[in-house]
Amino acid sequence: MTEESAGIGKETLVAWKKGDQKAFEEIVRASMKKAYAMALGLVGNVEDARDLSQEAFMAAHRARGSFDPDRPFFPWFYRILRNRCLNFIRTRSKRGEISMDVLVEKECGRPRPDAVVMNREDSNALWKALFGLSEEHREIIVLRNFQGLSYRELSEALDISEGTVMSRLFYARKALYDALKDRFESGGNEKVG
Amino acid sequence: MSCDRMENDGMRYIDGEMTPAQAAEFEKHLAGCETCRRSIAELGRVDSMAGRMRIADPMDVFWEGYWKSMYKRGERRTAWILIVAGAAATALFGIFEIGRNFGPVTFVKVAAAVLAAGLALLFISVVRERVHQKKTDRYRDIIR
Repeated sequence: MTEESAGIGKETLVAWKKGDQKAFEEIVRASMKKAYAMALGLVGNVEDARDLSQEAFMAAHRARGSFDPDRPFFPWFYRILRNRCLNFIRTRSKRGEISMDVLVEKECGRPRPDAVVMNREDSNALWKALFGLSEEHREIIVLRNFQGLSYRELSEALDISEGTVMSRLFYARKALYDALKDRFESGGNEKVG
Repeated sequence: MSCDRMENDGMRYIDGEMTPAQAAEFEKHLAGCETCRRSIAELGRVDSMAGRMRIADPMDVFWEGYWKSMYKRGERRTAWILIVAGAAATALFGIFEIGRNFGPVTFVKVAAAVLAAGLALLFISVVRERVHQKKTDRYRDIIR
């Protein structure tokens, strides 16, 4: 999360805190992709993720008085976004359905056509399995594996100790393995490991 | 069967959060602990699968509309706050004025009050339904 915030200068954060609309736009543009991806990892639906991440930016703008410009923006913002997403999941499962074909491989390169099909099957299976987990477990997998947060960053974002980060990761991965066990045992996703 | 070392050391090992000395020590433990070896193989497989993936970026057109629609959302929120505050103030003033000049209760006055309450309820219900529809309509951004 720190590298994203590194793109937002302190002057911008100070100007935003004073109510500068241009500074706010700069912050949104620098953080929107990450915010959207994190919201999508929690709620699973593209439209909901866009709405919730936009609402979170507006909420952050209203709450900017409590922001300390000496600290990075994103961890502070993530708490607002996370609360919005978790409240949404708990109180309003209005759309409910999970968007598919959301995950792609990190590697660049051009895979063979048969590999593309297998990867899409894998990624959709993984995505579906993630939404069978609890929000807590899904969130930590999304942040660690898709967003690449370190243990320290996870601890800060989730407001838990590093010991709890490890414990939560262990149970989340165990639950995810159980959900994908049949796929692993039937020989799917052979490239893994 | 489980081993106490999996939760902490196992995760740090999989995630590369151990020093080389710590990793070497844990590998010694793995050599003698069948439970940990199996767990590392299983959970490492999950980690490897998830670690290869990332959430895809939507197309540029999505991001072009992101800031604009967010700005509109802010404007509409402010507009709604002003409308609701204005309507509440007007209603309160109206109720106060009606109460002050109400005079004796008659059948016509009661009927008019019931009618006004019904119309107000209907208005609120329609507005609420429209707002809900607008929020849940996945084609709302398509210009018809």
